[in-house]
Parts: sequence; C-alpha cells; structure tokens
Amino acid sequence: MVQAERRVAITGLGVVAANGIGKEAFWHATSNGVSGIKTISRFPTTDLPVSVAGEVSNFVAEEYIDRKLAARTDRMTHFALAAAREALQDARIDLAQENPQRVGAVIANTAGGVEFALEQISALHVRGPRAMSAFTSLAWLSVSNAGQISVHYGLQGYCKTLGNDTAGGLDALGMAYGAIRRGAADVIITGGCEALLEPCFLIILSHGGFCLVGNDPNAYRPFDRRAAGLLLGEGAGTCIVEEYEHAVQRGAPIYGEIIGYGQTNDAYGLRNSAVSGKQYARAMYQAMREGNIQSKDVAYFSLDGRANPAFDQSEVEALRLTFGTGFADTPTSVPRTMLGHSYAAAGTLDAITALLALQNATIPPTINTDELDPRYELNLVQNEARPLVGSVVLIGGRGVGGANVVLALKK
Amino acid sequence: MDTSSNMKSVQNGKRRVVITGLGVVAPNGTGKEDFWNACVSGRSGIRRITRFDASPLATHIAGEIPNFNSEALGLTQEESHHIDRGTQLAVAAANLALYDSDLLNVMSEEERNNTGVFMGSAMSSVEEGEKVWISLTNRGKRAPRDLVDDIVPDRLILTYVPASAISAHHQLYGPCTGISTGCSAGADAIGQAFWTIQEGRADRMLAGGTDSAICPTGLNVFSVMRALSTRNDEPEQASRPYQHDRDGFVIAEGAGVLVLEERELALARNAHIYAELIAFVSNSNAYHMTALPEDGAPLQQLIKQALTEAQVMPEQLGYINSHGSSTSPNDAAETAAYKAVFGEQAYRIPISATKSMIGHTQGAASAIETILTALVLERQVIPPTINQVKNDVRCDLDYVPNVARHATVEVALTHSSGFGGVNSALILAQANWQNGRQI
Repeated sequence: MVQAERRVAITGLGVVAANGIGKEAFWHATSNGVSGIKTISRFPTTDLPVSVAGEVSNFVAEEYIDRKLAARTDRMTHFALAAAREALQDARIDLAQENPQRVGAVIANTAGGVEFALEQISALHVRGPRAMSAFTSLAWLSVSNAGQISVHYGLQGYCKTLGNDTAGGLDALGMAYGAIRRGAADVIITGGCEALLEPCFLIILSHGGFCLVGNDPNAYRPFDRRAAGLLLGEGAGTCIVEEYEHAVQRGAPIYGEIIGYGQTNDAYGLRNSAVSGKQYARAMYQAMREGNIQSKDVAYFSLDGRANPAFDQSEVEALRLTFGTGFADTPTSVPRTMLGHSYAAAGTLDAITALLALQNATIPPTINTDELDPRYELNLVQNEARPLVGSVVLIGGRGVGGANVVLALKK
Repeated sequence: MDTSSNMKSVQNGKRRVVITGLGVVAPNGTGKEDFWNACVSGRSGIRRITRFDASPLATHIAGEIPNFNSEALGLTQEESHHIDRGTQLAVAAANLALYDSDLLNVMSEEERNNTGVFMGSAMSSVEEGEKVWISLTNRGKRAPRDLVDDIVPDRLILTYVPASAISAHHQLYGPCTGISTGCSAGADAIGQAFWTIQEGRADRMLAGGTDSAICPTGLNVFSVMRALSTRNDEPEQASRPYQHDRDGFVIAEGAGVLVLEERELALARNAHIYAELIAFVSNSNAYHMTALPEDGAPLQQLIKQALTEAQVMPEQLGYINSHGSSTSPNDAAETAAYKAVFGEQAYRIPISATKSMIGHTQGAASAIETILTALVLERQVIPPTINQVKNDVRCDLDYVPNVARHATVEVALTHSSGFGGVNSALILAQANWQNGRQI
C-alpha cells in the first residue's frame, strides 16, 4: 500500500540578520542591496587579524526573551529564540491548538555558544573550578538551541540539532522536510543560528584561511577576479515547516513548498579546497529530480559563493554540468555578500530570501563583485535587484570538509 | 535477483536496513571482540584520570581509552597529528567497522557515491579548544592575541568534523552530516542514517558517535552541575546505575561506528548480518534541559511509539539496553517508565546498563550501546550491569546484575536521553527474524 505523499509547506519566517532584524527589515535591506557588513563593535579588534564582519547590531536579547533565560544562554540561542518567535507569529500558529507530540524543532549550529563558553573557561582557569557557571554546558552545547525552543514552547515531538559547517542551515530544512514527509511530525520550527564573532574564534578562522583578514567591508566578492575569501557573519533564520494539508486546514499563510533536497560530499576532509564540481552537480541533480524541475523553471539559483577561487570555479563547473545549455539563461545570485557567511544560519537565510523573492517577484542582488571574472560566464544578478520570472528557486550550500547541499523551493 | 526476494526487501513500502559491520573504541576494549569480551566479563574501563592533573576538580575519575594507537588503527600520520582526539577515535572506529563488514577498500566509485556518514557528537574537540584558548590568552592573563606559531588551525572545534574526516579517509561521497543532540547524538545519527537508506538517498551509511572531552573544561562543566560521581577512591565502582548510593555519571571518551546497509545489497554480497534495524523514534521532554520528569512520561511515550512503529508486541521484547547513566533522577525515572509501559511484564525483560562499565561516552554512548545490542542479538548472550550491590528501592527490575547470561533475544530496544531533552530509541531484531511473516 502506497501512502499519499505528504507535501511540505513553509508557513512562517523569522530573521535576525546583519542587515536587518525581522523579516520586513531584512527583505527591505536585501532587496535594495544594503550590506550589513561593517567594523565589529562589540569588542576591540585592534589586535585581531580581521576587524569587519556581518555583525548583528542593536540586538537586545531581553526584547525577545526574559532576562533570566537570557543570562543562562549564549547569543546564538538568543538569536534562535528571537527568530523562532517571529516565525511562529508570522505563521499565525497557535501552539495551544496543536498536539505537542506532533510539533518539533530542528536547529543547525556550528560553533556552539562560543562567547559564554570562553567566559566560563576563563573563569575556570583564572578563578578556579567553582567559579564556572553551572549553566555552562547548557549554554554552550549547540543542542541548547532546539532544546530551549522545545522547553519554551512545550514541544514534545521530533527535535534534532545538527552541524554541517556552512551548509547546516540547508540541511536543517532538508531534515525537517524528510521528517514531515514520512509522518514523524506535522510542524517543525526549523533553521540555523550562529554567533561566532568572538576574538579567539576570529583568530582561529582567519589562520585556517576560513575567512579574509583585514578591515575592508567590501572584500567579500565571490566570482570576482580578485576573490580571496569570505567575511564572517552571525544571525539566525527560522522557517515554520508544516505538512501542507495541515497548513491549508488552519488557513495558514503559505510562502511555498520544499520540493527537493540533495546532499553529497566531496570528501576532501579538512583541507580548504574543493576539487571539482562533480559531487555538487550530483546534489543539484538529486534536488531537481526529486522536485521534477527543469532548468527553465528555475527563477534563480542562490549560490554558496565562497569567494575562494577553487570553490568558485567548482561551483560554476557544477552549474554547467547540471544546467548544460541552460546555464547562461539561469540567473544566479549570492545574497550572502550582504550578510557575510553566517555559517549555520546562512542556508536558512538564503531560503527565507528565496521565499520572499518569490513572493515579491524580485531576485536580490550580489554586491561587491565589481570585476566579475568573465571566464565564469555567470548570469549573476549584481548590485541591484532584478525582476523574478519563474516559480522555483534552488539554493546551494557547501561546507568545509566537502558537504554539498541543494534545496529546491517552489512558490 | 528473483522477484520474491524483492518483495522481502521492502517493508511497509520502505527498503529494509541491516547492520553489517561494527567498530568500537571504548574504555574497556578496542575492537568488537575485545569490547564484547570485556562487557561479558563485567570489566570496567573507569580509572583515575591520567590525561591531565584533575586534583583541583571534584572528580578525579573517567573512562579513558588506554594506549590509543591511532596509526595501528589505520590513521595516517597527518590524521594522527592534525585532527582532534575525538575525531581520531571516530576514524579508528570507522576503519574497524568497514573492515568488519568486508567493505574496506573494495567499494567502487558508484558504491561510494551511495555511501554516506552521519556521526553524533556532544562536545566535539573541547580539549583542543581549551588548549588553543590557553595559548591565545596566556591562560586568561590577557586578551586573545594573534600568535602565528602556537596554534594548529586544522584542529577545528566543530561537531561535523568526525563525519567529514571519515568520509575523507574512505572517499565516501554520499550525505555527510554531524548530529549533536547531546547524549542521544549517536542514536540519532544511526536513526537518521536508517531513514536515509529507507528513503533511497543512500544504499549504505556509516553511522555512530564519538566524544573525547577529558580535560579541565570537559569535566568541570558537569562538576559544577553536580552531575558527576565523586567516588574517586573506587573508580570501577563509581558508575553504579540503579544503586541506592549512585552519585552521578562518570565521563568517558570513546567512539562507535556501525555499517548500515540496504538489506538486498547485503544479501547479494553474502555479508554477515548482525541484526536488522526495525524502527527509530525520538521525542522531546519539553520539560527541562537535563532531566526527565519523575514518572518518565516522555520515555513511556517513546517506548510505546517505538513498539508500534516496529509492529512488536511488548511480550516479544527480549532485552532492553537502557540509558542507565547512574544519576539519581535518570535511573528511577527510566524504571518508572518501563513499569508504566510493560506492567508486570517489566519484571521479565532483562535490562542492562552499559554505562556501568564504560561510563558515559556522551555522543558515542548510544552508538556503542547499539553496537552492544546488535552483538546481543547475534550471540544470544546478555552482558551484565555491574556494581549491583544494593538497589534503590524504586529500581527493582532485572538489570542482569554483575554476571552475563545466555538468553533468547529476538527483538531488542536501546534508548538514550540527552542534554537538551531529546529521547531516542532504536529497535533491532535478529537477522532472520520474520515476525510471523512467511519466509
């Protein structure tokens, strides 16, 4: 007996981003090419190799969560809770009407609660074991994002936390999509959060070549002749992922559906170099086949845009392999250039951007790529938004180690 | 392939998944046989900590992996120097699992396109992270300063690294992700991998968990919560689930990796099948970040759901590998849940808590426990819960005290509860168990 296939809708959006807090502010900035990358202000950067990032300014945790909870959790969780709250309101969902065993949360995160953790490691080593906060493990472990959301909203269903470098935010959506399709849940608060702008972390990441050094806020320019790396970001994106009929029955706003998900791996380990676009193309193919998507249906492809020449090249190669002759006709964009790479939040913010793009029939631009490398022959939406034609957006995300994740969204 | 075997290869419209390889690096044994023999003879891997001077802390004991020889376990020199210990344990366990499954170095590119890796980890490379912080800040004496020579940038402090390192070592191109649901991470990685094969997104998956956090921060984050046993003078007796004087869990390091395979492929290559994975369920406490409510209600729900999904009657359950962490609240809540679900039957199901011997390996725990459960099904022997001397009056079930025993086990349950409130369960069945179906 074959069960009718369950469809997966997205019914609510929540955003905490460097160029806007809240869905409206975020879309307004993003569609106008407004960058949130600036000089870091939360701590001095004089002795650090990099001083610019997509920092979320003017975020006051107590505006979204009570003071006691804010004190016991890290900034990454503040972001996650704030974005979850907005998404739930946006979805107009009344959790009291839902069976709590059918509601869950899947939140991706990469670095954990860095700021809280390092403060407590310092307390341990400087003042002694008993000076460490009893809340350290809870604030630090990335599981606390989905965990606090589930406690706060009384969610007894399917809850997961995953980590996959900068592709985690897309994987979270893929995981939620899979869980809803197989009936493990009906509603999942899904997304990614990251707050890794912390001095030690910046030193580690810049040394490893995982981000640019310096103080130029415009230096992150994927597919540019001068592309030399990315700038970091922080923030959170949350989508309410919901079984389609369930959404229709409660009259929920429906932004779109998740119709395909592909995931492969280049398997190059910890070396910061992608070797070819072959595996990434396989992930694209998986997502498109699952969603029954032709290249002509694709309104735009939101790219990973790592701005590392080897990654840029292999991303273009993957597009060529997948789109073939349709390559030049398919618009592409890297909205992350306005936010910095917000690691686990990146993929979800790209998905939210895609849904708002579909809703507003507008493709958001890529900024700073003033000298687009002609060898790529990319149809890149640059500097200004462009009218969107079509009903499907593909989002690509890659991670150090070799992860290639592609998500397909349809209006 | 004849059509009748095609019909058997699908259950409820989904592909069937079997376990064909096991790799484990545990405090009481490295490698499947060493680990099994240790568990069956009730041997503890808990000792006084040697990795650092733990005297300033309240707890001086842990489950360390003694004499871990990375190169003997197949790691390259580069891997042995540039990746964190937890990831090294994971790669070693993966190597052991692939060797055990007869898939080491023999898979074609096409097969490797369809093989992925999901690994659970709770605390990642805490030890290395702490050392980096110490260098950058001179142990907290100054603000972090860029020190070019002092840090090794490859040692990333991130939870997906084990999965990534395994896929790189074996050139596996399928789905690859890290799961970090605390102490349930291993089970979640295995469960998600199970679903991945069922859904046709992969044909084989390496799945399991790893953790290594035996360092000042790793211990102290739990010490300050008073979660760790301080039975420093009797390390081997410190992890004592269900005992009236249990005083917390014992932290440990380790890794466990299973090879999960689509059943038809396993049969076609005459693979050794330890057990079949029948069901994976998980839920959330929504109650507290670290504890179950006293009646174990979410656990009751979890177990019922698992049995339903597996289409197994309570009487068919031959063994439970419990979470049994040796903390005061957990063991009682767990027992309360079993009684609520099984009634009188609860007294007839043998239960053992592996943590009594190896401590709590966090992200690896539920993976190592799943490995043990698979071996129970293969060998029809149940390892004991050790340190059973005088039980908590509320904990009066059959925990297979101190001595292993032979038993008929066709279906088994293993479950875990993690920080963050996720509870996960896996149901495994004997390789040839047909549950009343015609063969």
